[in-house]
Amino acid sequence: MNATKNAWWVPRRTQVLDVAKFLILVGLLTGLMIRSSDALGYHWQWYRIPRYILFSEPGGWVLGPLLEGLLVTLRITGISLVLAFSFGMTTALCRLSSSLVARMLARGYLEAIRNTPLLVQLFFIYFVAGPVLGVGRFASAVLALSLFEGAYASEIFRAGIVSIHRGQWEAAYSLGLNMLDTYRYVILPQSVRRILPPLTGQAVSLVKDSALVSTIAIYDLTMRGQMIIAETFLTFEIWFTVAGIYLVITMVLSFTVNFMENRLRIEA
Amino acid sequence: MTTSPVDKEEGDFIIHIEKVNKIYPNGVQALCDFSTRIRRGEVRVIVGPSGSGKSTLLRCINGLERIDTGRIVVDGIPLDESKKNRLEIRKEVGMVFQSFNLFPHMTVLENINLAQRRVRKKTRKAATETTMDLLKKVGMVDKAHSYPGHLSGGQQQRVAIARALAMMPAVMLFDEATSALDPEMIGEVLEVMKTLAKEGMTMVVVTHEMGFAKEVSDWVIFMDEGRKIEEGTVEHFFSDPKEDRTKRFLSQIL
Repeated sequence: MNATKNAWWVPRRTQVLDVAKFLILVGLLTGLMIRSSDALGYHWQWYRIPRYILFSEPGGWVLGPLLEGLLVTLRITGISLVLAFSFGMTTALCRLSSSLVARMLARGYLEAIRNTPLLVQLFFIYFVAGPVLGVGRFASAVLALSLFEGAYASEIFRAGIVSIHRGQWEAAYSLGLNMLDTYRYVILPQSVRRILPPLTGQAVSLVKDSALVSTIAIYDLTMRGQMIIAETFLTFEIWFTVAGIYLVITMVLSFTVNFMENRLRIEA
Repeated sequence: MTTSPVDKEEGDFIIHIEKVNKIYPNGVQALCDFSTRIRRGEVRVIVGPSGSGKSTLLRCINGLERIDTGRIVVDGIPLDESKKNRLEIRKEVGMVFQSFNLFPHMTVLENINLAQRRVRKKTRKAATETTMDLLKKVGMVDKAHSYPGHLSGGQQQRVAIARALAMMPAVMLFDEATSALDPEMIGEVLEVMKTLAKEGMTMVVVTHEMGFAKEVSDWVIFMDEGRKIEEGTVEHFFSDPKEDRTKRFLSQIL
């Protein structure tokens, strides 16, 4: 720190080289994009995009169809996230329990979900189970997504719990804590800190996988995009915009978790 | 096996261990027909080579390990398959581990408060009061709000002792409490243990610290391969061992 007292950043040779390499790469990619769109003969009309996101009316700002779709996507992923983590935690605890039945049930759920495509599960729940159980479109979508992501989350939870040193269990038990309290106060608070990064990855997957609900005619971000394209043929502009919106959501998610991770870090 | 004068006498025995056998899933017989009785207020030291079953014995006393056959009774509560008994016994028995096992995500204060609040159902205020008294006793008051990661090994072990004492146990088990410590920190932990012994706490101590054994123990058991090989008072044990294995062990460590 002392050597760089006067300048907040003194570039080193390797850093200059790194930046140069990065700029060359970006230049090459841009060139490639321009050439390929020339070759396509595509007529870019980016100026038509903003009104699908947000437009002003005499009464004030109005959400465009893409942002309305985004709200649906956020609602579905938000509810699914909570459910998926509950399913995941329950399944993880079942797999670690001493009861054979609980272990087998958890195992069966896990294998069934992980070895079939999400799209098939979604159709199965919506078309087959839905009418029987009397659940609607939105509920089917949430159920399918949370069952799917829950199976993966359970493996993360399990790994997090198993990774806690045996001595922590023994210390808690020897103090007379029962299993529930041991999980709640000793094991899980430590596990959660360890599994935040992979769990974030799972949440990001959930956001992206939610695009599949457009197949059962839910008006989420992806569905809205498809509809606009059908009307306007702005294929590339809309898809890039939709992808950009997903990117913003997942990045906000990652940054939030990053922040939480730093706040929760155990001092050592 | 020498018959012990202590075992014959009548007295207020708090731990009864009768013909206990423990075989680990890998086939190792950790305890073999092990019997002993421990008096209230006694300091019992257990020595022996590693793998002789000393730690297993302690872990069986508070139900961390199941026994295969035999009987263990602590303070009138038989240790059986019932979960309730197991929890009852653990309330009465404090344990201190070689590797401290403090909860790293809690401060010293929270570490010691947790079981008082969840198991003894004390209010935060009452628990904190007890905790601060105990921290004073082990000389750690100024570290009440530190996390275990910021403490030295000796300090962590003193906190661990305070944490076990906070449950007001009738018996304290020490499983090689000083074996993981740097030499300069062993003294501070032994001091705390000696204070406890002088206050009349019933203690079962697995240790390699023969100085400690000589100073405070009432009765020493030498174990090997899961069996009680020899036992006796400190004077008898260190100056006049009868068994060859005991002599060999003592010549190696003294």
